[in-house]
Amino acid sequence: MCEAAGGVMSGHEHLAQALAECGRDGYTGELRVHGTPGGTFHFGDGRVVAVETPGAPGPEALLLRSGRVSGEQWAELVRESGGSRWPATALIAHGYAGAAQLRVVCALALHDAAFAMAAGRVDGCERVASAELFAQVPLGEPPLRLLQDATRRLSALAGLPHPVHPDRERPVPAGTGPGSTALQRELLTHADGRCTARDLAFRVGRGVYTVAVEVARMLDEGLLVCTAAPVPLPVRTLPDGHALQPRKPSQAEPPPPPAYGDLPRRKPGSFFRLRNGTANGTAK
Amino acid sequence: MDHQALALEMRGLREQVTGITDTAVAAADGLLIAADTADSIDPEGLAALAAAGLGLARRTAGATDRGALRRTVTYGSHGCAAFYAVGDTALMVVLGDEGMDLEQLHRATQPALHRIGSILTDTASDKASEGV
Repeated sequence: MCEAAGGVMSGHEHLAQALAECGRDGYTGELRVHGTPGGTFHFGDGRVVAVETPGAPGPEALLLRSGRVSGEQWAELVRESGGSRWPATALIAHGYAGAAQLRVVCALALHDAAFAMAAGRVDGCERVASAELFAQVPLGEPPLRLLQDATRRLSALAGLPHPVHPDRERPVPAGTGPGSTALQRELLTHADGRCTARDLAFRVGRGVYTVAVEVARMLDEGLLVCTAAPVPLPVRTLPDGHALQPRKPSQAEPPPPPAYGDLPRRKPGSFFRLRNGTANGTAK
Repeated sequence: MDHQALALEMRGLREQVTGITDTAVAAADGLLIAADTADSIDPEGLAALAAAGLGLARRTAGATDRGALRRTVTYGSHGCAAFYAVGDTALMVVLGDEGMDLEQLHRATQPALHRIGSILTDTASDKASEGV
């Protein structure tokens, strides 16, 4: 919050003012938004060219979670692009996405991230100069248009019969049906009472606004319900004779280095395995 | 050990930092104490992995003269797993999705680790309750 003529500005008014000033000044650099979920608007000549926030999946998460690109393929694309955070040229060159398709994904992610930040709490904004411009959309969006779109989406969500906040409700399936669309079926699979709409958006690789609206609809249709109390968290008593002990410093000598020869191949997953993984390391 | 206080700390951390999906607390030798994890995660296996991972990282830090170990973080394309030592006797695991802000997590965990350490070593409020 900050003081303004005529009263105290809310966090969102502060965000609107900071965005407007960046646009008016033709600012190039980062505008960091402090709060929950918070995030960063990246500006180029007064236009927003990328937005990063923990509150919404970015283009990378959307591509990876949708299965369009695997984690290994992404790592290879980044290597090929000299460590670039956003290997757009390589993505197109390898045929993982068309240029137009990628522009659409990036534009959707940009608006979704602005929506997630506008839906959350804004404690303050700070300009930070950056050595290198991070851009995911070539031309960029006027910052106030982006904020107006976020406000319109917030109003639309709030107008639904069972509105949800992207980062609050943690629904569970009501057990009344399997869902009529692929997205509904996916959401029913992942809604375990631990995930908010934002968490579900990451799990299914869709925009947080899209998922929040769908969750609201499913609550209205009786496919999902919000339980009043969270699932109890099991805390165990250590077995008899096993009190917490300070760890013992390891005295073991390191194993001798192997004899030089051909490099052995890595064998994944031999000792421990999480329940959701498989022996070849692929997680669900 | 106050079970309810421990459960509140773990759940509070998940609600405080956007993107945390699971947390667990275990003894330094990997014996699980508490888990706030999804059904798809095996908390006992996770606790054992964390104990082994922290042990290896501590030895690596020592062998390479990197000073005291602060944490280990494993990065994957779908998120990360952070292991923290809780004093000399326990450890905490935090799993997050790819949206989680790690800097925010590290800032939030420092006071939480201190409080969890106090809860674990507090013998005055020993409450044997299952499922808090």
